[in-house]
Amino acid sequence: MPVTGVDIGSLTAKAVILDGGKIIGKSLVMTGHNSRVAGRKALDLALLDAGVEEGGLERIIVTGYGRHSADFSSENITEITCHARGARATHPEARTVIDLGGQDSKAIAIDENGRVVDFVMNDKCAAGTGRFLEVMAGALEVELDDLGGISLRSESPAPVSSTCTVFAESEVVSRVAEGVSKVDIIAGIHQAIASRIYAMSVRIPVNERIIITGGVARNIGVVRALEKRFETEIIVPEMPQHIGALGAALIAAERTGSEN
Amino acid sequence: MDDALARMMELRDDPFQWARGWKERTGSKVLGFFCGYVPEEIIHAAGALPVRITGDNRVTSKSGAHLQSYCCSLARTSLDMALTGDLDFLDGTVFVHTCDTMQRLSDIWRLNACFPFHVDLVLPVRFEGEAALEYMRLELANFRKKVEENIGPVTDAALSESIKLYNRNRELLAELYELRREDPGIMSSDQALWLVASSALIEKSEHNVLLEEVLEGLGGSSGQSDGKVRLFAAGSVMDQYDFLKMVEEVGGTIVDDDFCTGHRYFDAQVPEDGDPIEGIARRLADRGSCPCKYLPSRDRAGRLLDRIEKSGARGAIFFQFKFCDPHSFDYPYIKKALDEAGIPSLHLEIEHDSVSVEQLRTRVEALLEIVRGN
Repeated sequence: MPVTGVDIGSLTAKAVILDGGKIIGKSLVMTGHNSRVAGRKALDLALLDAGVEEGGLERIIVTGYGRHSADFSSENITEITCHARGARATHPEARTVIDLGGQDSKAIAIDENGRVVDFVMNDKCAAGTGRFLEVMAGALEVELDDLGGISLRSESPAPVSSTCTVFAESEVVSRVAEGVSKVDIIAGIHQAIASRIYAMSVRIPVNERIIITGGVARNIGVVRALEKRFETEIIVPEMPQHIGALGAALIAAERTGSEN
Repeated sequence: MDDALARMMELRDDPFQWARGWKERTGSKVLGFFCGYVPEEIIHAAGALPVRITGDNRVTSKSGAHLQSYCCSLARTSLDMALTGDLDFLDGTVFVHTCDTMQRLSDIWRLNACFPFHVDLVLPVRFEGEAALEYMRLELANFRKKVEENIGPVTDAALSESIKLYNRNRELLAELYELRREDPGIMSSDQALWLVASSALIEKSEHNVLLEEVLEGLGGSSGQSDGKVRLFAAGSVMDQYDFLKMVEEVGGTIVDDDFCTGHRYFDAQVPEDGDPIEGIARRLADRGSCPCKYLPSRDRAGRLLDRIEKSGARGAIFFQFKFCDPHSFDYPYIKKALDEAGIPSLHLEIEHDSVSVEQLRTRVEALLEIVRGN
C-alpha cells in the first residue's frame, strides 16, 4: 500500500507518495500564511499526481517547520531526520547533508545507514536561506531563479562582508551605488553565504561526500561557492526540494514494513 | 499535585514575592546575589535573607545604555530589573568575580543601581592547594566582617546554626535528585529545577519544611515519565521553565544536571565541626566546579560522564546563554568527551530577552530521534 511523506516548509510544502519503494506521485506548493492548508494542498496534489485516494494511503508522516499544524498525519518527525533518510536513499555515499531551506540552514552528519549522528542549525539568522536570496534578488531586480546562472559569469566577485540579511542588503545597495556590476555583486553574495554555511557546518564532523538539499540547492552559484569553500564536489540531487518529504515517506514505509 | 509542591510552584510566577513578604513581616534585610559561590550561610547568620537574581525574560529598556552588546542576557536583564526598580526591596548586593561580565557588572551596578550595601568577593581562580584555601579563608573572613559592619553581628553560634540548615537543605535536594534518578516520573524536570532554584529565594528553614513536605508527599510515580528519554543538561543558570516543559512535552526528561541553579547549588557539604569559615571555604572548593574556576586535578568532563552514566541519561543538552565565554570555553572539550563516549548532545544558545522555545523544539525533537536511533 502506498505511503506518503509531507514536508511543510516555511516557503514551500512538498509531498511524495511511495509505492513499493518507487515514487508514484509528488507535489510542491507555496506555504503562504497557513501551513495547515498548504500541507493539505500538497497532499491532495500528490494524490492527484499518483492517482490514488487518500483512503488508499497506509501511513502519512509529516515533517518540516509546519509539521505540527497538519491534521492528517500518522506521525511527525523532524526535517533533520527526514533529510538524512532522503539523502541516503538518493545518494548512499552522502555523509553530510547541507539543507538550505526557506528559513533554516542546517548541516547534518549521517552514518552509512542514513542515521543522524550530529547536526547544527542556524540561530535566528536568515543568512544562507531562501529568504535571504529573495531579499537580495529583490534589491538587485533580478529573478530569484536567475541568480545562480548570472553569478557564474563573474570574474571578480564583489566582497560582501555582512551575512545579516538587513546589513547585507544595505551593503549590496552601496555596491550598486559604487557602480559594481550585478554579476559581481551576486557572485559576492553567494560567496558570503558559502562562508557562513561553512563556518556553521564545521561545528559538526563534515565528511565526504556532501549533498545539498532544499530550495537553495537550485541556485548553482551557491553550490559552486560552497564547493570552493569546502574544497570538494557537492552532490545536487535531482529534486533537492523533495528530499525531506521523500525521507518522511521512506520512514513511513519502514514503519509499515511495506518497503520493497 | 500535592499541596506543598503546588504551593511552591505558585511562587514561580513571581520569584521574589516570598522575599518581599518576608521583609515586610520581619523588617529584616534582603541581599541579592548572582553566583553559587556566595557564602549564603554568612548572610543568613547575620539575620538577612540572601536571594538569587537570575535575570528575567524581558526586553530591556534601561540596561542597554550601560552594557556592551556582547554581555550575556543574565547581566543585561538583571541590571534592567535593578534600574527599573524591580529590585527595590533589596538592601544590598553581593558579587563574586567569576567571569569578566560579572566583574564589570559589579562596578556598573554599584554606580547606577545604588543599593546601600555592595560587596565584591574575589575568590581564587584555582581552588586547589593550601595557599588557595588560606586565601579563601581570609577573603571569607573579610566578607563576614563587611556583613557584620553593614547588616548585623555574625556569631559563631549563629553561623554554625545556619550551616546546619544549609547542609540539611542540600541533603534534601540531593535526596530529591536521587529519587528522580530512580523514577523521573515523581515530578517533571521543570518542577525539580524550580525546587532547587526556589531554595535561593526562600529562607532556608522555611524551604526545608516545604521540601520535607514535598518529599513526604511523593507517593510514587505519576507515570508521567513513562517512555520518556532520560537526558542530562548542563549550563550556568537554568531559569527557562517553558523550555523545560517543552522538553517534557516532546518526550524527554532531565534526570540530572550540571546547572549552577541545579546540582552545583547543593553539591558537597560544609563540615559541621571545626572552624565554620574554613568549612565554608572547603565546601566551595569541593563542590562541582563552574567553568570560571580551575581545579587542575579534576576532570570536569569525566565527572559529567560519570553522572550521565549513573543517571541513565542517553543524551545531553548544553544550555547556554549567548556570549557566555566561560561555558563556551569548556564546551568543545566536554563535547569531545561525550562524542567519544557515544552520548549524543545538543548545544543550545538562548537569551532572556528573546526566548523562542518553538525554535528549540525541532532541535530537541531531533536529539530525541538520534537517541532513539532515528
